[in-house]
Amino acid sequence: MIPFDVTSDDAGDRLANFEKQLLTLPALKSYLLPAFHIAQECLDWLPRESILGIANHLRIPLSEVYATATAYSELRLEKPEYGAWYMCTGVACEAAGAQRIMDAVEIAPERFGRTDCQFLCSLAPVCTNHHGKILGRLTENRVRAIFVEDVGG
Amino acid sequence: MTIKQTLLKTILDKSSKNPVAKLFIHRGTCGEATDIVSICEKLGIIELAVSLNAEIVETSCDGRCWAAPSVTAQKIDGVGASYSRRFDRIDLDINIEELTEVLDLATVHNVFDDGATGLTSRFGQLDGTLLAAVELGAYAVAEKVFRQDQKNILSKIEESKLSGRGGAHFPTGLKWKLAAQNEGPRYLVVNAEEGEPGVFKDRHLLEADPHRLIEGILICCYAVGVEKAFVYINGQAHKAIESFSAALEQARISGITGPEFLPEKMAIDIEVRAGAGGYVCGEESVILNSIEGERPVPRFKPPFATNEGLWGMPTVINNVETLAAVTTLWQDFPPPTKLVSLSGNVARPGVYEVPADETLSWNGFLLSVGAKLETVPAILLGGPSGIFVHREKFEERIEMKNIGAGGIFVLSPNTSVREITNSLASYNERESCGECTPCREGTIRLTELLKQETVDLKKVEELIEVMEEASLCMLGGMAGRPVKSAIENFPTTWSWVER
Repeated sequence: MIPFDVTSDDAGDRLANFEKQLLTLPALKSYLLPAFHIAQECLDWLPRESILGIANHLRIPLSEVYATATAYSELRLEKPEYGAWYMCTGVACEAAGAQRIMDAVEIAPERFGRTDCQFLCSLAPVCTNHHGKILGRLTENRVRAIFVEDVGG
Repeated sequence: MTIKQTLLKTILDKSSKNPVAKLFIHRGTCGEATDIVSICEKLGIIELAVSLNAEIVETSCDGRCWAAPSVTAQKIDGVGASYSRRFDRIDLDINIEELTEVLDLATVHNVFDDGATGLTSRFGQLDGTLLAAVELGAYAVAEKVFRQDQKNILSKIEESKLSGRGGAHFPTGLKWKLAAQNEGPRYLVVNAEEGEPGVFKDRHLLEADPHRLIEGILICCYAVGVEKAFVYINGQAHKAIESFSAALEQARISGITGPEFLPEKMAIDIEVRAGAGGYVCGEESVILNSIEGERPVPRFKPPFATNEGLWGMPTVINNVETLAAVTTLWQDFPPPTKLVSLSGNVARPGVYEVPADETLSWNGFLLSVGAKLETVPAILLGGPSGIFVHREKFEERIEMKNIGAGGIFVLSPNTSVREITNSLASYNERESCGECTPCREGTIRLTELLKQETVDLKKVEELIEVMEEASLCMLGGMAGRPVKSAIENFPTTWSWVER
């Protein structure tokens, strides 16, 4: 488990907000996934502090909380790459040229990665960021513009 | 300032009354993914609407995803005449009169009429308020149904032959009856996980008409005797969660989920749970584990959920569309329909409501949605556990048992069936939860075998057989289905080691 980066200016506020919101949940095992969502919304990912806090509040063994967190693909156990976008690589997006666009724009993979189906196949190809913002019907020029414009959401 | 705030300010300034038309701005996931807001601002759509005395309605995608970003104009006294336009394909001189008067075949998104009574009848027309939904018929069916005895309702559902719209097509009436027979407390779980690539109809339904789902939930809860329902929505479907949660709050506040509206002084607690990814999370027993706070892995069956579901109690697990479809069963002529999610090599991808009575051929459907049949070698039904339908079979009728959850991907001549099949196999490998060996190891071996230059057909078939028979859930059980279908339909795609 990786600890939260407490050097940033708002780290204390974000942790405090997480703890405050966590306490609004009933202390029942059933609220494990909602607790993960609170942590990810407040902190952007699930650092050590959040796993410990959840285990403590819901009275679930730490190992079980951590094991469950690893089973959900959308829960992040590492700090996300801010400003990064992820190209959908579902069947519709692949067929609509997702890989061709990625090759053409030549943006570093840590800034422009790949992700599984984003379920907006009717607007393929699409990309998303860690805020869940989705942009559809992409072209090479549109992708290049994304990294210039502030469309992070 | 949102579009609505801007509009309100402008309207107040101009004291505009008695609008002559409505201008629906489709701000669903599709609209936002195609920059509808900034385009409306750039084109001065709001000012235009105000100058033409049109009321602006911020609404969802109407199923015509192909048209996004779009607005739809409708005369207040018009009879369903509407016209959507995609902004990047037209000149910018939009004329509401023209939009209202021009009716194009392409805009009829419910392909086969009965849009007024079907599941999509309110798509793209609601402004997010309860009032708008009620004005267009929400909760009218429930009100009628609540005057009936529970047994009559269960019989009605059985007689309707409604089957599960999540893909398994289990008879809904039988499921409800089985759960109702067992001692409570009973639960309802709404499966809105929709984690199958290529399927996006439930999200559209949740965004476009959340009150229809709530109405279906209430009918189910009353008929089966449920007081607690969980709606498990895919964690990536942010707009769907937002829209459904808002509608639920409206229903709560107005007493629709309580004894003011429900018969026999019932009160139904409906709770939204957001998922957190994983194709396997759409499997019903995985959802049960997830809600209970356990690891999201499948359970052994039997026992089935109708006997031992959430916390060991009888539980009905229904797909979003199934419950929404319940609200259409009490009409004089209930249209048996199925929502499908269309994507790929077709002019008008989106969400369509098609007949579920197997009267429609693939040719008919594909032509109606703008496919050029000569350029379509095949379609893929249902994503990673789906099948290919070769063009030679396009004359055949669309059968519900083959359509799964309703994902239809139309291939183009330059789409490689081999690449798609390998991509689906890799997806299943990544998404396997690892709980059972046949799936955990089998999906890895299958991917490896398919990547060989010359594929050992015998080994592939043996492996798929083991996975089908021994996997704990249908992720593993159906992972070989597209492979088998590709082999059957496109035998020359791979070079094979003969059997």
